[in-house]
Amino acid sequence: MNIYLLQTVNGIGIGMLYFLLAVGLSIVFGLLRFVNFAHGAFYLLGAYLCYQMMQWGTSFWLTLTLAPLVVGAIGWLTEKLMLRHVYDKAHEFHIVITVGLALAVQELVIVQWGALGTSVPVPDVLQGVVIWGSFIYPKYRLFVIGFTAVLALLLWWVLEGTRLGSAVRAGSESTEMVSLLGINVFRIFSLVFALGAATAALAGVLAAPIRGAEPFMGVEALGVAFVVVVVGGMGSFGGALLGGLLIGVVQSVMSTLWPEGARLMIYIAMAAVLLLLPNGLLGRKE
Amino acid sequence: MKRHLHFLLALAVVLLMPAFMQSGSLASEVLIYALAAMGCNLLLGFTGLLSFGQGVFFGLGSYTIALTLTRWPLPMPLALLLAMLMGALGAAVVGWVAIRQKGTYFVMLTLAFAQMFYFIAYTATGITGGDNGLLDIPRPSIVVLGHTLWSLASPWQFYGFVAVAFLLAFWLLQKVSRSTFGRTLLAVRDNEERAGAIGYNLKLLKLQAFVISGAVTGLAGALHAMMTGIAPLSNAEYHTSEMILVMTVIGGAGNLFASVLGSAFYVLMADWLSTLWPRWLLLLGLVLMAVSLWMQRGLWGLGDSAWRALRSKLEKQHD
Amino acid sequence: MHRRQLLQLSALGALPASLGLLQSAWGQATGAIQFGCPVPMSGAFAANGKFADLGMKLAIEQYGSALKRPLAYTLLDTEGKPATAVRKVQESAQQLGTRFFAGGILSSEALAMGKEAEKAGGIFITTAGADEITGADCNAATFRWSVPTYGAIEQTVRPLIDMLPKAKRWYTITPQYVFGDGLLSAAKNIFKEKGIEHVGNSYHSLAEKEFSGYITNAIAAKPDVLLLLNFGGQCADTLRQAVSFGLNKNMTILVAWASGLEQFESLGADLCEGIYFGAQYWHTVDSALNRDLVKRTADKLQVNPNYSLAGSYICTKLLIDGIIKAGTVEQKAVIAALEGMKYQGLTGEEEVRKADHQVLKNYYLLKAKPKARMKNADDFVDILSSGKSFLPIDQTGCKKA
Repeated sequence: MNIYLLQTVNGIGIGMLYFLLAVGLSIVFGLLRFVNFAHGAFYLLGAYLCYQMMQWGTSFWLTLTLAPLVVGAIGWLTEKLMLRHVYDKAHEFHIVITVGLALAVQELVIVQWGALGTSVPVPDVLQGVVIWGSFIYPKYRLFVIGFTAVLALLLWWVLEGTRLGSAVRAGSESTEMVSLLGINVFRIFSLVFALGAATAALAGVLAAPIRGAEPFMGVEALGVAFVVVVVGGMGSFGGALLGGLLIGVVQSVMSTLWPEGARLMIYIAMAAVLLLLPNGLLGRKE
Repeated sequence: MKRHLHFLLALAVVLLMPAFMQSGSLASEVLIYALAAMGCNLLLGFTGLLSFGQGVFFGLGSYTIALTLTRWPLPMPLALLLAMLMGALGAAVVGWVAIRQKGTYFVMLTLAFAQMFYFIAYTATGITGGDNGLLDIPRPSIVVLGHTLWSLASPWQFYGFVAVAFLLAFWLLQKVSRSTFGRTLLAVRDNEERAGAIGYNLKLLKLQAFVISGAVTGLAGALHAMMTGIAPLSNAEYHTSEMILVMTVIGGAGNLFASVLGSAFYVLMADWLSTLWPRWLLLLGLVLMAVSLWMQRGLWGLGDSAWRALRSKLEKQHD
Repeated sequence: MHRRQLLQLSALGALPASLGLLQSAWGQATGAIQFGCPVPMSGAFAANGKFADLGMKLAIEQYGSALKRPLAYTLLDTEGKPATAVRKVQESAQQLGTRFFAGGILSSEALAMGKEAEKAGGIFITTAGADEITGADCNAATFRWSVPTYGAIEQTVRPLIDMLPKAKRWYTITPQYVFGDGLLSAAKNIFKEKGIEHVGNSYHSLAEKEFSGYITNAIAAKPDVLLLLNFGGQCADTLRQAVSFGLNKNMTILVAWASGLEQFESLGADLCEGIYFGAQYWHTVDSALNRDLVKRTADKLQVNPNYSLAGSYICTKLLIDGIIKAGTVEQKAVIAALEGMKYQGLTGEEEVRKADHQVLKNYYLLKAKPKARMKNADDFVDILSSGKSFLPIDQTGCKKA
């Protein structure tokens, strides 16, 4: 199989995880107009909860369900108790408070689990590789693609097919209108923020067997999430998917074409999109 | 007297530090980052532009002074001016592109630029030294007509030089902020649409603010490189931009002396806390959250409120 | 500003400076001998910094005093940034009169600190890896205990080639910066000499965490051996991902620059099984000093010493021994005492080479053993071979004045 085909498939694998990482950030921004610099911290918490729960003997599948719920609850509390109070302040405080939160979470993780980082085992049933001709690919990464695809469908259904989803989409256009219609906007805010945190944590749980759990993975993830959201379009679910896949494929293909520039290309792509298509690939005009 | 209050406060800080501190390097660091924070404040506090790109200008300043003092030698004052020019140029480029967006998109664009610059600096090892950075930056004395006016070799001697540059920059920036230009920037920050409707050329104003900010930040980067003798890659890192923003916000946006407070607080606290607890960043995170929730005017606001409370109490006593 | 104010300002600056100098000079003569431990305690390499701090503490407590003066040390958090490192070295020299520094985990900070130590009239000894530290950027005040790229490759690639005569195709994954290039060119030289086919190389940036693309490149090249030239967290990530692709089953993997014990602890024995590692130090090395260190560390900290701890310990010990041998804390005398010093070190007999201040010591080739064969929780590897390989002086690029 041609190397570029292999890299494209690998890129889709990376991209699906990037999508899951970014979709929460995008939806939160779409509704709350809030850039959450602590998004990476939720990803980090997801990964470490996965590590800790599996240390306690919990199965991977249970962890996959529970960890995002726990982090989602943390996100919900954070929004209700803290972030809500800065919505009406200048937008630099949105950024500063979440930067502070991200720092605090990172350091607390180090206090609890040390600065070194650990491996997280791949669940037994997903160990090993799939071989098809010259195509070798870890079973676990295939699982991630499949699982995230199902999740994407689920999220899409929630956003498009449920009343909550309609409220979220309408709220992204105009929160005033939504509250005038009698919907408790603040409750939706908390819920959406919790959803954002939960999806980030889910990405963390899925990433942990691939990347391990280490305290600085939150910062790196945030950088990637920003790029994906900007490229795809802030506030757009489809944009997060398209952006994630695009960035994943670019990164993977670049590792053959121009290996040392793989990271740089991501940020060049980000800047290019911001310049040519200011609202991203699928974003709406502000 | 009141007109000059802020400058006098800045002067007081400059004079007090040698009296209370043992390390000239630490004192210089406070002033250098105060310069950078003032540059950031011009964009954030005065124009309402939150820029994550300050690290780019800081880094440009460092690299320029490194190259013009080692590889392509120029007299030091000229090298400093060139570093400021490069900072201003970088800011012009970043600003010209970023200004096309508003609000959060603007912030993202500056972030993208910061990351791009970092990776370019990392790759262009011929010019920037890559991960090693540029080393062996000298600290030439100020020489006029063959006579050494001022040697900068020892830390406190260099501090004197930094102090002069700082006070000069402070004074000039004050003039800028108090001028019509400065007040127009404030108008842009408060209500951009209205300012545009009145007829101000928003793009030009923002660009000008960027250029001045870039020059000041470039100066800070150059002085920092001279102090440490190196122009490292980490000066161009995202973390540097973040740190400068943090100092600006902690000090208080919209007030030049507040940036000095923010810089002094961050540098001195980080230095002191890091000897006590390796997890001192946790405390910084908590401070940031506290400032965002309860002290949006920063340390300056805190001091101002305390001063007002004291004055009203004294006035009440008088009655 | 008027010239008068200018002069007043600089005069004002000079006053406390002269007071400060007076104070530190007095302190130097009678008070404690001050050591500094400039290592990252926050940031990505905080784990290494923590152990380096413990290593210096062990050495300082062991000696207690030298030349009838007590020994004291301060921890300087470099945050992994060269500029912060330099500034804190400057501060420590100014505030406490510190002249002896052992640290510098990252090459970039070590390079910068070496130059600052020379300016400050002190001595800096490091375990960082960049060749330039005792090569093109060498200076009188800088010493290095760890083996640079040439030796690391010579003592891992060469023995492995001899051990696996049928493995002719090698693929490399290299971090793109001076240190990575150093390892790569040393490897390429051996490849050429031994007729090994270098089937490909993937460069990556120092910020990279996703290695699947590079691993896919490697698989496509069908090598017999995968040579990893990155280190620390990136090395752990690459290994983890390579094993997930099943590479450990169909090719040999060699990690040229392993971090040591804590890396095995974080990766786990199952992942590492059958993989070859190059290391600066291992706690089961059979030397008198190492046995002593292991016992000391077990008594005080209930752990086995890892490379960061051991490196910091021996660097501090060298400084103290140098001071004792010189009979004074004066910089030039201590440097002269250290130069050419032969002693029984952690890896056996070690020598501080006079011309470039590089310590000549062993580098080890290790092979990770299966979990079932581990005799205790830290028994991750068998030591396969070791040796000393260093570039002759005229090839290091070091020209000390």
